[in-house]
Amino acid sequence: MSKHMENQKFYYDNKIVKLFVIATIVWGVVGVLVGLLIALQLAIPGFNFDLEFTSFGRVRPVHTNAIIFAFVGNAIFAGVYYSMQKLLKARMFSDMLSKIHFWGWQSIIVLAALTLVLGMTTGKEYAELEWPIDILIAVIWVIFGWNMIGTIVKRRVQHIYAAIWWYLATFLGIAILHIVNSFEIPISLFKSYSIYAGAQDAVVQWWYGHNAVAFFLTTPFLGLMYYYLPKAAGRPIYSYKLSIIHFWSLIFLYMWAGPHHLLYQALPDWAQALGVTFSIMLIAPSWGGMINGLLTLRGAWDRVRDSAVLKFFVVAVTAYGMSTFEGPMMSLKSVNQITHFTDWTIAHTHIAGMAWNGGFIFGMLYWIIPRIFRTELFSKKLANTHFWIATTSILIYAIPLYWAAVTQWLMLKEYTPEGFLAYPNFLETLSQILPLYYIRIVGGAMYVIGFLLMTYNLFKTMAKGSVENNEASEAPALVLQGERNPVRETIHRWMERKVVKFSIAVFVALAIGGAVEIIPMIFVKSNVPVIESVTPYTPLELTGRDIYVKEGCYTCHSQMVRPFRWETDRYGEYSKIGEFVYDHPFQWGSRRTGPDLARAGLIGGSMYKNAAWHYNHFMDPQKMNEQSIMPKYDWFAEKDINLDLVPKKIKAMQTLGVPYADGFSDDAVEELLWQAQLIVDDLKASGIEIEPTKQMVAMIAYLHKMGKDIAAPIPAPVVSEDEPAHVEEPAAGDEEPRTTKEDEPGDPDVYREANKVETSEEKQH
Amino acid sequence: MKIVSNVLENIDGIQVFYIIGLLIFVTLFLVILIRTIKRPNKEISDIKNSILKDDDSDEINRVCL
Repeated sequence: MSKHMENQKFYYDNKIVKLFVIATIVWGVVGVLVGLLIALQLAIPGFNFDLEFTSFGRVRPVHTNAIIFAFVGNAIFAGVYYSMQKLLKARMFSDMLSKIHFWGWQSIIVLAALTLVLGMTTGKEYAELEWPIDILIAVIWVIFGWNMIGTIVKRRVQHIYAAIWWYLATFLGIAILHIVNSFEIPISLFKSYSIYAGAQDAVVQWWYGHNAVAFFLTTPFLGLMYYYLPKAAGRPIYSYKLSIIHFWSLIFLYMWAGPHHLLYQALPDWAQALGVTFSIMLIAPSWGGMINGLLTLRGAWDRVRDSAVLKFFVVAVTAYGMSTFEGPMMSLKSVNQITHFTDWTIAHTHIAGMAWNGGFIFGMLYWIIPRIFRTELFSKKLANTHFWIATTSILIYAIPLYWAAVTQWLMLKEYTPEGFLAYPNFLETLSQILPLYYIRIVGGAMYVIGFLLMTYNLFKTMAKGSVENNEASEAPALVLQGERNPVRETIHRWMERKVVKFSIAVFVALAIGGAVEIIPMIFVKSNVPVIESVTPYTPLELTGRDIYVKEGCYTCHSQMVRPFRWETDRYGEYSKIGEFVYDHPFQWGSRRTGPDLARAGLIGGSMYKNAAWHYNHFMDPQKMNEQSIMPKYDWFAEKDINLDLVPKKIKAMQTLGVPYADGFSDDAVEELLWQAQLIVDDLKASGIEIEPTKQMVAMIAYLHKMGKDIAAPIPAPVVSEDEPAHVEEPAAGDEEPRTTKEDEPGDPDVYREANKVETSEEKQH
Repeated sequence: MKIVSNVLENIDGIQVFYIIGLLIFVTLFLVILIRTIKRPNKEISDIKNSILKDDDSDEINRVCL
């Protein structure tokens, strides 16, 4: 059957590309400036400005979210919307969806910035945004996918070019990751608890976190690389066959790599082993991408000399190769021992982020903007200057941090000949590396300057040109080829025509990795051995924990003692998986700018400090430790906790399976005030006056809870004539009160026998 | 109330899932590898070069780099 194929006239939507491009630049400036601010804060605590809204713990997530979702996110959309239309010879499926996508995404960014500085956060890295924004993200993301898949369906080109597979994988991957990791129970408009706890939360979080790197920072950029690099170089991709093989390998393997963030931590060995193995295997498909990118320039290297676009692309792809080798190396347990919790991780992420993502975006912007504005770039010289500044700045940023990581690790693990830690005080290691943080500021500042040069250059370019919002084009309609002819078409070729089936196959590949790692952790009880002496948080401790999450304490402090002698000698016994079963969310931390706090509550332990010390330290850390870079938290003494939320918190926790007694939420506030008074009395004995409802009291209670339960006596059942009808499970309320010498005034353990089981009349003061 | 179900609570030898996952990957990898290598080069070349034949004229390429 022959068809006379007439050309159909249609229009490319360049306006949406323009919008996303402008958003990329604007948010990029914000993101790098906030990055510079936090770099300053890490060397000079005065840059916290003594305000809660500008303290490091709150501002650091603003930087990460601005860079990842605002800068990189808008750049992805700009690149996708431009390339997709050209590759498929079709306008985007729906102008309405395009607009909703754009404005919806910008709203998310604004809400993110506002809520994060106000301390509304889930406490999970790169997933800090609270539940209403999570829902908005899901809606906008679905709209993006709908728009993309609709465009593919109405395309005029038979073959779906490689770049689009990557865009599809991005859409599907992020959809799965975001939804699964964001399962949370709200207790108010901007506060919720992760349904996962402890080690399970850790596994889900880092499955998400690493795959956010995979499906937000890698797959879309590989897709963009497959379009923009050949276009800029005027050469076809080196090996299309390689692109097929490394695509499927990468999207399958990446999903398993998450546990490499949790090595030597309270996670079952089998889960850690999976993470290591698949992380190493991931080198191959990642390098497939790098090879394809770099070898595309065969015969065109002379063009790199004169082109800022190609220079940025070359550095980007090279940095991608470096980072995807470094990452797997950091996934080896022996290397991870050194790198985890140190600045090595920061160096690694910033080389990848600044060179691969940033560099690629810069190249892409320098290519797209003159194109859609139909004019020459304002200044090629400025673009090349930007290139040299950016590349140099990345080295000045990263090299000091590698130095800092190794220095700190060597100091932390050094022993005297007598067998004691040579540097028992964590702060000594921080003071030693502080000069390197100053150099990092220089590197970061240079990167910002390059960014501003680019912004000037690009806005001048836009000013002297104009966008044709609807660019005319024509192409014949697609003739559907119907059934697969096995003689002429492989299954893959056939699948490439069938976008929905292709998408489903991608989804299955992605889902397998997540399912294999997460489902056993959640459902198989033996993976989380119960420790009987570990008790749930009291209402006051829970309130304190929520403040810890709100202030982003986890951005500097870890709660995970690893099983190395040089760690257990410093912090106490290594952390057991069963200690975290009530932690919604987990707060193991990724970075030690300050010491680990896992055993901060163990009286007599190396990390224990009394209530008065904590009070003074929060009020002015530099008074207690002159070289500390911790921000002041003096508002803790002024601001009250929200008592109305307390019963809701207990109820939410009960829903999540935390074994509080039935009806405990009704007594929770009274319980809280009772425990708070003990701490108030303790502080009064040290000459400090404070009311029991202040945040400070809750924080002290939380810090004094941390890590001591494993040293508590295993409870024996207590038979009492006043025993109520419903008795709690063992370990939840039948403990004998502590009467050891270590008890200090105000020790909340004294009240534990009354906690959760008995009614208020039976409580003894 | 327990949010998650009681299925799979007592499975021994959970490592089998690890092995199954690896087997699925290796099988698929080999199949995709062999089929891809066997694809005719002409077909591949057409697809690769298609990207250079879309609407953008060469003139713009020279001007804007």
